Order: sequence, then structure tokens, then C-alpha cells
Amino acid sequence: MSMNNAVILGPIFFPLAGVIICLLLARSNRIQRYAGLAAMIAAWLCSLAVLTAVFDQGVQVYRVGGYSPPYGIALAVDLLNGLFGVMAATVMTAGALYVVGSKDKCANYPAFMPLMLGMATGLAGAFYTGDIFTLFVFVEVMVMSSVGLTAISDNKLGLEAAIKYLLISAMGSLFLLLGIGAIYASFGTLNLADIARALETGERPLLAQVAALMLMCAFLLKSAVFPFHFWQPDFHTTSPTAVSAMLSSVVVKVGVYGLIRLTTLLFIPESQLLRLALLALGIIGVFFGGLGAFRTHDAKRMLAYSTFGQIGFILVGIGWGTPLALAAAIIYAMNHAFIKSALLMLTGAVASRLTSKSAALAQLQGVGVEMKGVSLLYFIGGLALSGVPPLNGFISKLALVQGGIGAESWIALGLAVGGGILTLMYMMRTWQYVFQAEPEAEVNFRPYGDSLIAPAILIGLCVVLGVYATPLVSAAQMAAAQLGDPNVYITAVLGG
Amino acid sequence: MNAIFAIVTGILFGLGVYLLLRRDLVKTAMGYYVLFTAINLFFLAVGVFDGEAAPYVGEQGQPSDPLVQALLLTAIVISFGTYALLLGMINVASRRFGTIDSDDVDHLRR
Repeated sequence: MSMNNAVILGPIFFPLAGVIICLLLARSNRIQRYAGLAAMIAAWLCSLAVLTAVFDQGVQVYRVGGYSPPYGIALAVDLLNGLFGVMAATVMTAGALYVVGSKDKCANYPAFMPLMLGMATGLAGAFYTGDIFTLFVFVEVMVMSSVGLTAISDNKLGLEAAIKYLLISAMGSLFLLLGIGAIYASFGTLNLADIARALETGERPLLAQVAALMLMCAFLLKSAVFPFHFWQPDFHTTSPTAVSAMLSSVVVKVGVYGLIRLTTLLFIPESQLLRLALLALGIIGVFFGGLGAFRTHDAKRMLAYSTFGQIGFILVGIGWGTPLALAAAIIYAMNHAFIKSALLMLTGAVASRLTSKSAALAQLQGVGVEMKGVSLLYFIGGLALSGVPPLNGFISKLALVQGGIGAESWIALGLAVGGGILTLMYMMRTWQYVFQAEPEAEVNFRPYGDSLIAPAILIGLCVVLGVYATPLVSAAQMAAAQLGDPNVYITAVLGG
Repeated sequence: MNAIFAIVTGILFGLGVYLLLRRDLVKTAMGYYVLFTAINLFFLAVGVFDGEAAPYVGEQGQPSDPLVQALLLTAIVISFGTYALLLGMINVASRRFGTIDSDDVDHLRR
């Protein structure tokens, strides 16, 4: 049984402490922004330390308050959520860096940085917790922060999107809570490992089967997958740039994480059926997202639709469910987070030059002609998203194709690859529109805009992860191998 | 006792869904809160043992399940916070868009 590793608390504690410190510093917006960035960097370092510890010593557990599970709450990190935690902390740190250089009016509000950090707290907590009720609480923290951030957006319609999302997300939370209640009624425990152990015995009360479906619906809603998707483009496009970059890249991954846990740790015998559903929904998502992205007239909205497609690819990986395909899903999820957040930041940086701050293609046409640097970064990002070598998007597509060959699911494989071509088409269309086309008669834009450091770092990361992909790929494969044997997780948390 | 819980949860669930589907956004928010109350009652009913006494050491009789009560408190706080945030945003929306009819608050679709 491993020792208590208090470093796991870091990625949750530092942003939470940052919320309080930032509120105390509310008088000076500048210091507040830097304090938020410092808190995120501390969280990022902790998440890296946790992942290293998992590599060296196996699954890491922290028993909150010293009570041993299943009676106390435990934070448990294996390779899967270790990797997801690093992904979340990396992207959130880049987001905080973007806020430091942001010219958005709403970034001056004293509540902006605390809410960002609240989102990071909820995200890290949702990934790291080993207790299903704590998962619900952290997801709520994340949802409330992101709703607040969207409601105060410079875009007046952000409020409308925030109301819609809060209502829909509240429904998702209700079902999550109902599922949790059903699980508690069936097994009398809320600890993920303990539930998994109870389910392993093959005991299946009727309520537990209902719980599987409810949890799946709740997670699908959090990831904005096909039947529960309608809120996502509105919510992701009206929020401030720094926030929409977080929402579309890491926040949607909470649902993906939940689905992986649901099919590999909890409901393993039922996972055949769940996976079939995920595969079908994934393929629908790939095409719906790709085609939807084509008919949008807004650069940010296009990226939001593209998220449907990319989440679809990840679901296809989870749906195949072989170790190779699961590894592909993990690689895909991480790479997509970096690419999508970078692209949304770049789009926002271009839009921030306009007085209207609108990302509508009609207004953005030709705005980027003079901005050679942004144009290059966006081009690289677009290629990475569509999976062109030597960028990281290619690695994820390659891993997925290998997974598909391993799973011998030829039709799905063909469809998934075909869907990838759509990505290239809509990304390049927008790139040409914004950075290559002649500006329409009179375009008034300012010579300065949001800082480009954060997206440049993320694009750099995309290139590095493409050229030097071995560490991530082997880590994901080890994570998938670990998922193949749920007893590793269960014994680490509960002991012998 | 369980029958009463089941019936009341069912009634509250029905009421909540009915309110949630109203066009008036304030009623929608109220529907959400009623639904959450229904879930809270459901949670109270799923305690692993049927107890009558308070869960203290030294109390006589079968103790009730303290865990569901702790969870319930958390859930109530969260639902209340969400409800307050929702009502606050609807308040601002009523001034910004001049209406609280959900059919008219659809500028993003136009």
C-alpha cells in the first residue's frame, strides 16, 4: 500500500488558494493577474510531480483527513488521470498567461481571475478524485465558474448562453446525482474503487444498471456529444477568448475522462453495449462536427463545431476499447487540448484587434494579412488539427488508425479517416479567409491586440509533441495497459 | 415510510419537470429547484440502513445513515448556489433583453 502523497493536493490547493489571494488583491488588477498566473504555475509543477511519482511508484493515493477509504474520501491518481491532470494544468496555465496579456474589458473585473482559478480547481479536482460524489462537487465548481465567466463576457449575448448552459448543465448534474444516489442505494459506497470491487462480484441490482445509463448521459452532456450537444457552440463562442479556449479544450475532457472510467473501471461487463453506443455517437460527432463547421460564418464558432468532431474521434477510440485504441483516445484527448486552445486563442487575438471584438468571418476577412506571425501560428495549428505530419495531430490520428486496425472495425476506421479530411478543408478555408483574402473596403482595426505568448507556447508544444512524440505515446500506452487491469487501481486505493 | 418517500419524490419530480418546461425563465428556474428537491428526497431515502435514532454513539436503537445526510447538505448548498446564480442572471437578462420569455431570449439563434 502506497504512502499518502500530499503533492496530489497541489493542483487543487494552489488554484483554490489563488482564488482567495486574488480576491484579496482585487484593488490592483495587474497584481491580481500575475498572482493568478503564479498560482497556476505552482499547480502545473505539482501536476508534473504527481505524474512523475505515478511513473516511478505506481498509483498514488491521498486519504483526505487520514481516514482510510472506503470510509474517507481519497484522491487517487493513476496514469490516466495523471496525464489528464497535466493536460488540464498546462492548458489552464496557458490560459492564465493569456489573461495577463488580454485586452478584454471583462478581464479587468476583479472577479475574472478568481473565477478562472475556480475553473482550474474544479477541473483538477474532478480528474484527481477517487470518490464519485466529490467528482460531482468539483464538476459543479467548474460549471459555476465557467458560467460566471461567460455571463460577464464582453459579448452581450454571453449572458443568454450562460443561462442556457447553466439550465442544461444543471439537468446533467441532476442525472449525475441521481446516478450517484442509485449507486449508493445498490452498494452503500461512493468510492470508485469500492464500487468497482462490488461490481466485479457480478452483483447487478436494477438500480445499478440504471446508474450506468444515468452516469453515461451526464458525462456525454459534459462533453457535448451528439444528442446533448446543442448548448456548446453558443456557450463556447460567446465566452471571453481565454475562457472559450479552456472550455473547448480541457473542460469537455471531464466527460471523456468519466466515460473512460465508466467503461474500464466500473461497468466492465456492460461496457460492450456502452462502447457500441459510444462508437456510433463518435462517428455521428465526427461528421456532424465537420459538416457543421463548414456552414458557420464565425471563426470561433467553427472551432466550437470542430470540437464535436474531435470529441467524436476520441469517442471512437474509447468505443473500440482495445488497449491500442484506448491509448489513442488518451493521446488524442491531450493533443486536441493543446491544439484547440492555441487555435481559439489565436482567433481571439486576431478578433481583439477589431473594435467590435467579433470573430464573424465577414468582419475578420483580411484582418490578418499584415500579421505574418499569427498567420504562421494559425496555419501550423490548422495543420496539426487536421493531422498533417510532423505535427502532434498526426500522431493522434496515426495512433487512432492503429487502434482501428487492431480492433478490425473497418467501416468505422474508414469513416473516421474520411472525417479527418473535412477538418483540413474547413481549417484552410478559414485561414485563407482571415489571413490571405483582400480586406473588404474599409477595415478598422487597432495596431495592438491580445498578447500572443500563450498561443505561441502551445503551438510550440504541438510541434514538439509531433516531432518528439515517443514520451507521450509510450505514457499513453502504459496508461491503457494499466486500465486493462482495474485491480491495480482498486488495490492501490483500498489495499490488499 | 418508503412508500411516502416514493410518492412525494414522484410528485415533486412531475411538478419540477412541468415548471421547467414553462416559457417564463423564472418558472424554469423554480422548476429546476423543485427537481433538485426531489433528488434530495431520493437521496434521503437511499440510506443503507433504515434507522430511527440519531447517528451518535450511545443513542438507543438502530441509527440512521449519517452519510446520506452529509451528502444531502452538500447537495442542498450546491443547488441553492446554482439557483441563486440562475435567478441573478435572469434578473440581468430581463433588463438587458427586456423580456424573460425564453422564446424571445434567442438572439444567438438569429
